[in-house]
Amino acid sequence: MSRVVHYINQFFAGVGGEDSADTPPTTRPEAVGPGRRLAQLIGPEHEVVATVFCGDDRASGDPAAIAAIIDLVRSGQPDLVVAGPAFTSGRYGLACARVAAAATAAGLPVIASMHPDNPGLDEAGGAPVVASGEVARQMGPSLDSLAAAVRRVLAGETLTADDGRIGAVPRRSRVADANAASRAVDLVLARLGGDAAATEVPLPRFDHVNPAAPVSDLATATLALVTESALVPDDNPDHLESARATKWLRYPLDGRDSLAPGEWRSVHGGFSTAWANEDPHRLLPLDAARRLESEGLIGSLYPAYLVTAGNGTSVGNARRFGIEWAADLRHSQVRAAILTAT
Amino acid sequence: MADMPENGLTRLVHHVTEVATGPDTTFADGRLTVSADAARQCLADPALARIEVTWASPGQSVRIVKVLDAVEPRTKGAGGGGIFAGFVGPDRVQGRGSTHVLRGAAVVVAGFLPRAQEAVVEMSGPAAALSPLGATHNLVVEFTPTDDAPWEDVDRALRRGALRLAVHLADAALDAPPDAEEWLPAPAPPTSGADGRYRVGAITNLQTQGTFKDVFVYGRSFSGGLPTLVDPGDLDDGAVVSGQFGHPSLKNPTFMHQNHPVVAALRARHGVDVDFAGVVISPEPVVASQKELVSAHAARLCAAAGWDAAIVTKEGGGNADGDVALKMDALEDAGVTAVGLFAEMAGPDGTGPPIVVPPERATAMVSTGNYDERLVLPAVERAFGGNAVALVDRPATDELQLPMAVVYCALSPLGWGHLTCAPELGTEELSG
Amino acid sequence: MSIAQRVGAPRIVPTRGIPYPTGDPSLAKADENAWRLRLVKTALGALATPVKQPTVFEVA
Repeated sequence: MSRVVHYINQFFAGVGGEDSADTPPTTRPEAVGPGRRLAQLIGPEHEVVATVFCGDDRASGDPAAIAAIIDLVRSGQPDLVVAGPAFTSGRYGLACARVAAAATAAGLPVIASMHPDNPGLDEAGGAPVVASGEVARQMGPSLDSLAAAVRRVLAGETLTADDGRIGAVPRRSRVADANAASRAVDLVLARLGGDAAATEVPLPRFDHVNPAAPVSDLATATLALVTESALVPDDNPDHLESARATKWLRYPLDGRDSLAPGEWRSVHGGFSTAWANEDPHRLLPLDAARRLESEGLIGSLYPAYLVTAGNGTSVGNARRFGIEWAADLRHSQVRAAILTAT
Repeated sequence: MADMPENGLTRLVHHVTEVATGPDTTFADGRLTVSADAARQCLADPALARIEVTWASPGQSVRIVKVLDAVEPRTKGAGGGGIFAGFVGPDRVQGRGSTHVLRGAAVVVAGFLPRAQEAVVEMSGPAAALSPLGATHNLVVEFTPTDDAPWEDVDRALRRGALRLAVHLADAALDAPPDAEEWLPAPAPPTSGADGRYRVGAITNLQTQGTFKDVFVYGRSFSGGLPTLVDPGDLDDGAVVSGQFGHPSLKNPTFMHQNHPVVAALRARHGVDVDFAGVVISPEPVVASQKELVSAHAARLCAAAGWDAAIVTKEGGGNADGDVALKMDALEDAGVTAVGLFAEMAGPDGTGPPIVVPPERATAMVSTGNYDERLVLPAVERAFGGNAVALVDRPATDELQLPMAVVYCALSPLGWGHLTCAPELGTEELSG
Repeated sequence: MSIAQRVGAPRIVPTRGIPYPTGDPSLAKADENAWRLRLVKTALGALATPVKQPTVFEVA
C-alpha cells in the first residue's frame, strides 16, 4: 500500500478565502477537501495519509514557505506527493509548481495538477504535471485524470501526453547510436519523403495567455498604470535593482497630475535612461492618463503605480510579479492596466 | 561528357598508433616521432618568446585547458605541396590529386589569448569521448608571447606555426605506404538526380566577428563575404582555417573542417539514397539586416545549384542560432527542404527554452545535446595550456564541475558528436 | 514576430523606442504630448476590444 501526501491551498482546505491567503504551512493526518474524493479514487491500494496546506500568498510569496511545506510533506513519509488541482488559479498554480519542483529536488516523486494555461506551469522544474479543467466546477473529471496518473506513477510508469501530461519535459543529453551529422541526413530524407513533423527538437511552445474579456464600461472603471521601466523616486528609496530584480514596488500618485523631471528617474540597466529622466512621462504616461480621467474616458486612475526592472529578470520572478500584480490590483477593484514595457 | 580524370581527391591515410619525441621527425609503422627542435622551428616568430611541445595521448591522466585551435597533420608533398592555401601554400584552389593524412594525431595549440573562452579536453575519464581530441595523439603546443608583442601578432604566429607544424609532421609519412586510400569525388553536377535520388548539400556557417573570433578561407578573413560554393576537396586541403576561440563546445576547429562530419555523412550515402550536391560556406554577420541578406542569398544559391535539400550548421551560441533559423526559413521559401543542427540551451535541469532563436516556418531540427548540463571531471595528474581553469578558479588538475559548454566540440555544430536531447534516441547520459 | 507576441501578451500597442516607450524625443514637446495622448487612447481602445490571441493595435 502506497502513502500519498496531498498539497492543497487554504481555500480547498476549508480554512477560508482571500482573507486566509496568508495561512502558514499546516498539516493534517488525513485527506482533506478534494483529497477525500482523490483518496476514494486511488484506494484501497493507495492511501492519502496526510494533507499539507498553505495560504496562496504565503506559498507563492514567502521564500521560506516552500521549504517548510516540504518538511511537513516529508514527515508524512510519502511514496508520492500530489499537488492541486490548481485549475487556472495563478498563485495556487505557482505554489503547486514550486512544491513539485522542490519535491523533485528532494528526491520525492510528485505529480502536480493544473490547467495548461496556468502561469505556474513552467515553474515545475521538469516535475510531471497533468492537465486539470479550467475551473473548480470541473473538480470531478480533474480528479479522475489525476487519480489515473497517480496509479500509473505508483505502478512505476512514466507519464506521457496520453496521461494528460503537460508542460516542458526536461531536455537531457543522451548518447545516440549515430552522430548528429548522419541523423541530419536521416531527417532530410524523412522530410523529403513527406514526413512534415519529423524533428528532434520541438518548436518552442509560445506562451498562451487567456485574454481577459474586454472592459465594457471604461468610463466607470479604475485603470492602473504599471511598468517594468524601473521608474522610481529620484533617491530610489527602496533600492530597486537595475538588473535581475527580485522585487516590485508601489509608489503613490494621488494628487499628482504629472511627474516632474528631477523627482523621478529610471534605474533600469538595460537602456540609456537619459531621455526618460528628462521627462518621466516617456515611461509612465501619467499626464495623458489624468487628462483622459478628467475627460471621463476612464472612471478613475488607480492612485499608485507598480514598478519593477525588466532587465535580465528571471522568468520565474517575472511570472511571479505578474501574478502578484494581478492579485493586488484585483484586490483594489482595478479593472484594467496599461503596462509600459522597455 | 567524357569522364574527367582525377575529378576528386584521394586521401592517403596513415594511422598513428604511437607517438614519441626524438632527434628527428619520423613516421614508420604507425609510430610518429617528433623532433622538439624542428617543431619549435615551425613556430619561430618574433611574437613568440618560448614554445614547448608535448604529447598528450588517449588514456593518459591529462587535461588540456585553454585549447585554441586543433589541426590534423596533412600534406600534399614536401613542404605542404599547396595545402593550407594562403597560410602555408599559395592562395590557390586545391582539393585534387592526393593528400597524406596522419589520422589519430592532431596539433593542438593551448594557452591564453584575449576573448578566448576556457576550453577543456580530457584525455581520459567520462568526458574524453565528448571531444574528438580525446581520441587523438595530440602534440600540444604551449607558448609564451614576447613582451610587448601585440596579441594579434601572437594569434597570427600561432596560426601559421600550427599549420606549418601539421605539415612538418605529415611530411614524415610521405614515403610510408598508406594504411588506407579514400576516394572523394567532386560533387555531382546539377544534372544529377535523374536517377531519383535527392540532391542534398551542406551549408556551413562560419563565425566572422573580427580578431580572435574569425575564420579564414584561402588565407583571408571571411568577414564581409557572401555565401559561396566551395569544392569540398578544398575543405580537406585546409582552405578553411579557424581563428575563433569562443564557445568551446560549439566551435569548429580547423581539424573539424578538414574532417567535415556533414560532408562525410552525405558522402557515405552518395549514390545510395542521396546525391551529395556540394558545400556552401557562409559568414555569420552580426548585423540583423546583413544576416537576412546573407540567408536569402544562400537560399537562392542552393536553389540555383539544383539542391533538393540543405543541412545547415552554425558556429557559436545563440546569436548563431539566428543565422541557422533565417537560412532554414529562406530555404523553405525557396523550395529547398532545410534541416538545421542546434545545440540546446535548456538550463542545467533541461527545462528552459531549448533554442534561443528558432526558425518560424522550417521545423526540422537535429539536437546536438544540452549546453548547460553539468559534468564532473575527475582530478588528473597533469594539465597543459594553463595552471588554472578560469571558470571555476581552480587548479587545472583538480576535480572540476563544469557545464558541457566548456568541453571542446562536445556539442559539435558540424554534427561530429553523438549527443542529443531527443527523448526517443539513445540512453540517458550520466552527467554530474 | 515580436517578443510581446511570442510571450502571448493579448493586447499590444507598438511604440517608438525602447528608452522612451510612451514618448518620442524627436518631436517638439507639444507634438510629443499629443502623440502620447493618442497612444493612451489607443490603449483604452484595445482594453475595450475582445481578442482571442496576441493582437497589435497601431496608434493612428
